[in-house]
Amino acid sequence: MRIIYQTLIIVAVVAHAQIALAQDDKKITFTGAARSLFYADKLVQEGAENDTVTIPRLNSGHVLVDLGMNIRPNKNTEILGMVRVRNDYGGFWGSGVTFDVRQLYVKGVVGGIVRYQLGDINYRMSKYTMWNYDQELVSNMPAIFQQQTDVINYDHFYNKDNSWRQQGAAAECALVFRKYVNELQLHAVTTRVKASDFGSVSDRLFTGLNAQLVQSKYLTLGINYTSLYDVPGTARTDYAFQNPVLTGTLQAQTSVNGINLSLNTEMGKSRTHYENNTEAPDWSDKFISAIFAAKHETSGLKISANPLRVGAGFRSPGAQTKRIDYNASPVAYDRFTNDQILRTPGMLDYMRESGMFNLQMRPYLMTFNPSYDNITPFGDATPNRQGIILTASYEKKDAPVKATVSRYQLQEVRGEGTLLPRKFARNMVVVDAAVNKFFPAWKKMCHLSFSMRTDNTTRAGEELVKGVDLQTDVMSIGVEAEVLNGFDLMFGLQSIKYEGFDYTAVRNTYSEIFNFSEYRVGNKETLTAFGARYRFSEKTFLSAQMTNSKQQPMLSTSFPYSINQFMLLFNMKF
Amino acid sequence: MMKMKNKIFFLAFAAAAVLAGCKVDDEFDGPSLNDLYGQFAIVQGLDVSNDNVDFSSGETTHFTAQFSKNVDWKLTVTGLESGAVKEITGFTNLLDATNALWEGSTTRLPLFKAEECAVELTFTAEVDTLRDTLMIAGTKTYQGFVLSDFETGTNPDWESFVQSGANMSFNVATSATAAQGNSYFDIGGVVDWDWLIGLIHMPGSAYGDVHFPLSENPDDEFFNVMLYKEPTLSNGLVLFQFREDDNNDGVFTENVEDMYSVEINMSENGWKLYSYKYGDLATLINGQPSAAIGNGVHEPHKLIQISMLFLANPNSGYAHTYMDYLTFTQGGPLVP
Repeated sequence: MRIIYQTLIIVAVVAHAQIALAQDDKKITFTGAARSLFYADKLVQEGAENDTVTIPRLNSGHVLVDLGMNIRPNKNTEILGMVRVRNDYGGFWGSGVTFDVRQLYVKGVVGGIVRYQLGDINYRMSKYTMWNYDQELVSNMPAIFQQQTDVINYDHFYNKDNSWRQQGAAAECALVFRKYVNELQLHAVTTRVKASDFGSVSDRLFTGLNAQLVQSKYLTLGINYTSLYDVPGTARTDYAFQNPVLTGTLQAQTSVNGINLSLNTEMGKSRTHYENNTEAPDWSDKFISAIFAAKHETSGLKISANPLRVGAGFRSPGAQTKRIDYNASPVAYDRFTNDQILRTPGMLDYMRESGMFNLQMRPYLMTFNPSYDNITPFGDATPNRQGIILTASYEKKDAPVKATVSRYQLQEVRGEGTLLPRKFARNMVVVDAAVNKFFPAWKKMCHLSFSMRTDNTTRAGEELVKGVDLQTDVMSIGVEAEVLNGFDLMFGLQSIKYEGFDYTAVRNTYSEIFNFSEYRVGNKETLTAFGARYRFSEKTFLSAQMTNSKQQPMLSTSFPYSINQFMLLFNMKF
Repeated sequence: MMKMKNKIFFLAFAAAAVLAGCKVDDEFDGPSLNDLYGQFAIVQGLDVSNDNVDFSSGETTHFTAQFSKNVDWKLTVTGLESGAVKEITGFTNLLDATNALWEGSTTRLPLFKAEECAVELTFTAEVDTLRDTLMIAGTKTYQGFVLSDFETGTNPDWESFVQSGANMSFNVATSATAAQGNSYFDIGGVVDWDWLIGLIHMPGSAYGDVHFPLSENPDDEFFNVMLYKEPTLSNGLVLFQFREDDNNDGVFTENVEDMYSVEINMSENGWKLYSYKYGDLATLINGQPSAAIGNGVHEPHKLIQISMLFLANPNSGYAHTYMDYLTFTQGGPLVP
């Protein structure tokens, strides 16, 4: 063994930082965004009784500017401060104006070796340790709806790379070796998730450590450790929450006869417990996931198989915290009908209602909507799942079409309320086509998207207990067509139909199941929209659209209604 | 080289696939759905394993029944003569010797007599009630040093004093509703010039020695008494005094040696067992905790006299109580 430690070099890290710093010699640059958003809504109830209580028309909107100042006092340091000035439409002379600090961080390189960042940090690790999964129904949404979702995602720092916006400190470095091992990358982060109230709530921190050993282009090994934990002594309470997660990863790839084979494996375990709290449970559980993929580069065909097993007691707050807070109520038409009953939020609300989204890691499993996703409500890290996910896809450079077909065949690791596990099946098809590319003479953009998803949750009935049968069908169609230079017409349709019966777990503050609710649903939600967009540049557009959100309940306990929405959105990033 | 890599690659995949096999846990999360939503049915009715049980000889009896799901159940045994009640509760779908065993103890005083008992099985969330009967051939015997159960009157060596008030009672009475056996001590009356209605001094010599036959460990000795409160009266106070012969000279010297007290303000109607660890007894002066008078050491083996005083506010009118089964037990309070 003559592994000679050659040198401490930051490879990608320092290179990246220095490239960024070298791009512009200016010490101060400005960055940010501007937005103007206006909604005009009309509620149309289709029930027999005329609603004389609810105000049917609502107008709302705002204009805002995010102004960031990027300061580079020296070649190894970068400071970003961004403020947000926002004014709700109708707020004049200062009323309705808010002024917030949106981002603040300092980052740089220490001694040319360690890169650090202090303040606001976007961070992610593996899919089972720290991963901010997309909200439900968003992944394959038509572009016309995506505009509103993008607004929500931007405001809540939901980045495309699924990172979590946290506040704290992060550092990373890399070691390069001459023999046997190419590189060892080390990453560390600690963030403050919750501040103490000096009473019963302790300071809660999240710490993540990651080591990646890049042996060669064929093999990469990694270790991840995360922990969400209370800091003892920061409040007048003895007990302290602790949730460490330890995982190991293996990525291997090779090529055989023009077929690229890859294996992406992660396995690990978690422990969830409260120090000095005898009432709280002490859980430990494990998971394993292996994605085997084979891609034929020439044809663009790819198949993959993902056997997985995630234990029922596996808890990873960094990966299982949801974006949508399903306990929140919508602001628009939160109550309706003459009886002013609470309105159950629908797809339109989850597309645009800012107050229904979560920014903080939660130490427990959040509420989810089984009608929207009963199979992977907590992403890949959903506990109590085992089985296989099969995927076949087609994607080729310069080809106008890409398509994916998936089949999930999962079941519970541990039954809930019965020894019989629930079985989950999902079929999904996603097709994206750049239609204009079929015709070389058609230079203007024309994009068509289609997706369909069918979810089934089943469990056979027992002698005295009803069986479970819940089905969700989702369909999306989207069209974007450029009719004049930069001027697009857009159409989108997304429907979700859910019907059936399941038992939903009712959990206590420690996420222990202490009861089950009978969950019977039958509803069809349809979003239909058309509109126009003018793209001033890649980063700036103006969009106007009409959307109809229709609720067609199949149960007599609900009421059919529609919300017609006109939206005017100007969005700019600079 | 490539072949070896491919082998490793496929082996790793195979291992991962095997590890991810679909084995289901042999337990489930949360409460049973059958218990929550299943239909309730009685699979096997209530039965008594020994319906003529002699607890005095160490016999026990247990109850059996079976249901279609786990339920909150309550088994109630009621003495038809004494009115004594024994309750056993559980959340199961099966009653058997492990969860419905009865060794003759009592949940609500009085203690059971040799009598016929009604057995009733009820459910919190169901309307069904199952019934049966059994006969107690012999009652449970209790360990401990009995000061008096009043079955043969009072100890002749006790000294007593009773005020000459109105409606005075200070005597042994006999009734089927006695807390234990058939007799108890009846104390009551109206004394409108003094708190004291009557008192009894129980000297150790009444039991054959200067001191009571207790151990030296104050944490091991428990004093127990059963008292009865009439539902309409709440003015009576029962004060027990425990005098110690600190210097072991065979007499108690007032204001020199320790006297511990316990004041019982009866709050629950009917018979109730009051138990006190000897080591927890306090020095009371005018009802308030005070510094020890003697050496301040709880020495049950030097206990020379116990006094019972029945008190009531002179302006409160008629006061009344019953007293039964005064005992010392070791290792813990009396379990009726």
